[in-house]
Amino acid sequence: MSPRTQTLLAEFYDRNKKIITALLAIVLVFILGQVVVSGFLTIHQVLITMKLASFIALFGLCQMLVMSAGGAGLDLSVGYTATITAIFTASVMNGANSNLWLAILIAIGIGLVVGLANGLLSAYVKLPSLVVTLAMSQILQGTINVYTAGRLISGKPSPVLQILAAKASGIIPNIVLLLLTVTVVVMVILYRTKLGATLFGVGENETAAYLSGINTRRVRTIAFTMSGIIASLIGLLLIGNMGVAFKDMGSDYVLPSIAAAVVGGVSLRGGNGNYVGVVLGAILLQTVLNLLVALGWGDAGKWTGFGIVLYVLLMAYVGNRRKR
Amino acid sequence: MESNTQGTSRKFRQLFAKPEYSSILMLVVMIVLAAILQRNFFRPSSLILTIDAFSPLILLTMGQAVVMLSGSFDLSSGAALSLYTCVLTWIMKTGEPFSGVVALLVTLAVAILVGIINGFGAGYMRVSSVVVTFATAYVWLGIGLFIRPTPGGDSVNWFNAFYDFRNVEGAPQIFQNLGAFLPPVLLLVLLACGIWYVISRTRLGRYIYAVGGNEESAYRSGINTARVQIAAYVINSIFVFLAALFFVGQNQSGDARFGDPFTLRTIAAAVVGGIALTGGKGSVYTALVGAVIISLVNKVIFFANISYAYGTLVAGLIVIVAIAGPQIYQIYNKRSAEIKRSPA
Repeated sequence: MSPRTQTLLAEFYDRNKKIITALLAIVLVFILGQVVVSGFLTIHQVLITMKLASFIALFGLCQMLVMSAGGAGLDLSVGYTATITAIFTASVMNGANSNLWLAILIAIGIGLVVGLANGLLSAYVKLPSLVVTLAMSQILQGTINVYTAGRLISGKPSPVLQILAAKASGIIPNIVLLLLTVTVVVMVILYRTKLGATLFGVGENETAAYLSGINTRRVRTIAFTMSGIIASLIGLLLIGNMGVAFKDMGSDYVLPSIAAAVVGGVSLRGGNGNYVGVVLGAILLQTVLNLLVALGWGDAGKWTGFGIVLYVLLMAYVGNRRKR
Repeated sequence: MESNTQGTSRKFRQLFAKPEYSSILMLVVMIVLAAILQRNFFRPSSLILTIDAFSPLILLTMGQAVVMLSGSFDLSSGAALSLYTCVLTWIMKTGEPFSGVVALLVTLAVAILVGIINGFGAGYMRVSSVVVTFATAYVWLGIGLFIRPTPGGDSVNWFNAFYDFRNVEGAPQIFQNLGAFLPPVLLLVLLACGIWYVISRTRLGRYIYAVGGNEESAYRSGINTARVQIAAYVINSIFVFLAALFFVGQNQSGDARFGDPFTLRTIAAAVVGGIALTGGKGSVYTALVGAVIISLVNKVIFFANISYAYGTLVAGLIVIVAIAGPQIYQIYNKRSAEIKRSPA
């Protein structure tokens, strides 16, 4: 190997360290799973993992947008935003395609209101975004409680959504193809347009961005608003996948989505974010989760495992202890 | 005349701008409202019930206040509360009074460990405290579910002493008499106040304020900031542990999920009580007042006959208003002060 290729390889590794780590970890967990539980590593199992990971990865997009805009931003309200959209649009669609456009409009509307409120309170009123979005989740959950009090959640998703979220083309689930498309679009927007540069610029160094004439608070608010709208649209996919809407359908995705973004190498301090990494992070987490389920650990093992994984990753990736 | 009214309004604003006064003013307003809505509010028996209902949030808020003073947050205190009730009822065996002592000590050790784990991540490794405690909250929930998949468990009889002296079997007559007008949980709150009173007079107390005010300069002036932050989390854990004692005394059982809704309310209560979101400013005692105010708001909602379904929604809205209100007021005040200072 010539020295030049060596330096190029080293550079490539340096730039994509976290992606390579995530890939290796996925392979490792699959092999570990195959050793512990027979039948863990099959084509079928891999495809199911990919499908389930797609939802985490899509929620991870919300987290990445908010995180890369800096200010220790995180969006904990994505789960309930998706849930409330699913519940409200279920009766609108009522199992027909004719009202799908109306459902999409409602979804965008809900996401816009929630995301804008989160963004304004975080960026302009300068409240910690975690506290704001946690309170927002409670408000959304409360609204769902009020809506469902003494009333059944009725309605079915439109067939188009069911094909998109639950069916497969050949053996590859459609949602995986959708995720691939989203990944390409996101990567192009973030790395080839001014919007991406602005977003990362604000996250990297707020003062510098402000002094170069960027309205940093507006950029941060836009990041939260986009997060809300995307989360709301994922709600449509969730109901498409499940076939019905129910009260807590989205809330279990919040922690995995943050963990996926952190595993994928998105810095909590802002300024970077590679969506490919987030997608791999989501696949890794889903594989770990599958393993825990295959071992029969249930809810307790799932939350303990996820929490410990996130804690350890935070220490390893974000930890910044003072050296004496 | 005009200048005079301006003077009064400025004085009034200054009075209101001091968090101690504004929270006490709010407290008075809420007590009046509650007394109007609930006719027998001041009757001793109903006052005792009120103190019983409010005290857990007071204890949790005092803990949260200590952490916030040191410049961090604890989003895991609700989950930790649940975990402690699970551990307590897991170790205790009905009918074996001594198992209660063991449970007490073991759970206290667990609480200290919880504080150290949170403090290690936020203080020593310097990861954003909200994310660290958000992650650990799931660990506490998971461990709680391991121990107690469904609510339940054993408790020893003397644990009743944390809820009502009169429920303890074979208690001396003096306790029976005391129980009629003294809620034991008040003693737990006083204990927490005492602990904080002692700590706030030591070097650690001053260091907590220093680290919360400006971590960097505290570090540069030679304070071991990581150790101070870990200490703040441990103090918080101990206060949460005291709240867990109350709940086990009351319910005689443990539940891995019930503590969750408390977390947000403790932050809201601390902010209403004048603790700055940025740390270093405020007092644990006025945070206590904040907890009473938030509880009174819930009580007023209850007595105003609002349907149960609205509970979560209203609670969430109150949190947003409670946190955003003071902040908006501050930003507005600063801006108007800047306008006044600038030459017309």
